[in-house]
Amino acid sequence: MIAEETLVQELKDKNSQAKAFEVLVNTYKERLYWHIRRIVLDHDDSDDVLQNTFIKVYKNIDGFKGESKLYSWLYRIATNESLTFLKQKSKKMGIGDQELKERLVENLEADVYFEGDEIQLKLQKALAELPDKQKLVFTMKYFQEMKYEDISEVLETSVGALKASYHLAVKKIEAYLKAD
Amino acid sequence: MKKDKKNSFNTPEGYFESFNERLMARIQQEATDETSSIIPKTDGFGVPEGYFDAVVPKILSRTTEEKGKVIQLKSYRKVYYGAAAVAAVFILIFGFNWKSEPLPVTFDDLANTEIDAYFDNNRIDMSSYELAEMVSFENVQLNDILEDDLSGEIILEYLDANVDDLRDLNIEYIDYE
Repeated sequence: MIAEETLVQELKDKNSQAKAFEVLVNTYKERLYWHIRRIVLDHDDSDDVLQNTFIKVYKNIDGFKGESKLYSWLYRIATNESLTFLKQKSKKMGIGDQELKERLVENLEADVYFEGDEIQLKLQKALAELPDKQKLVFTMKYFQEMKYEDISEVLETSVGALKASYHLAVKKIEAYLKAD
Repeated sequence: MKKDKKNSFNTPEGYFESFNERLMARIQQEATDETSSIIPKTDGFGVPEGYFDAVVPKILSRTTEEKGKVIQLKSYRKVYYGAAAVAAVFILIFGFNWKSEPLPVTFDDLANTEIDAYFDNNRIDMSSYELAEMVSFENVQLNDILEDDLSGEIILEYLDANVDDLRDLNIEYIDYE
């Protein structure tokens, strides 16, 4: 795999940009897709947000200063794009953020790209009840198996606070799943 | 019973011999407990067949479109130069005033719709406390920021649930008696 610094340099160089961008897309498309999908839930919406994320990366690569790692910068853009997308969607539909989350989970029951059973559907209902940050920390740690240090760079939150958030999220989800 | 030479504390027979075994069993149990959480290991999301191969050309074609827009502008460069030259002549003849200074753009110049659009399209990552610190509410009445008027019933319910002693409100009872 190509080193991150080399890739960034190639992305900034107009001569190598196109090829380097293709490498970037191929390297991160799946990881970013699953990150986005767990926030926006619907496949078509995830597809839109994934494309918008990469286009934003392409347009702003010159502004990437290398103060954080490339992947955490990508995850940060993907997270912001996803949350902004949801905000715009709820505004378009004329409903509140929480109502939108509940509707998205309801839609999963008829979604051909959701193969979850009853317990997995209930998990999504539990996740919809969590504050955004707790949900993000939980999915990044539990399903994406990211290290706290990496999540800390993406969400710009201390490792200690993330551990507390994760612990709290697990307790809330377990309590929700145990309840009838 | 095994006796410590330096003090009179005792341990059950074979305690230290079996300690390792019991410790390992406990560690294994803890590990099992951790993995046997009722939270499912997968979340059930799927993607259409071949999606990850198909999405790459879609993204790459969108970057080419972005470039295409730039090329299109270049083809009109001569027209722009001409227009800019004519505009420059007009400014020199009619509009140039050595003493005039450009007026600074103020917050009032921004249209409300632009401000609304900015807040709608950008995630403002601030807590309500941070916002409250930035915005002065000195000259703002509560009803200015509420979409619906608070009914007396709601106010009474709130006070009932949140105020232990009505004297905390510093209401002069004389006026109401």
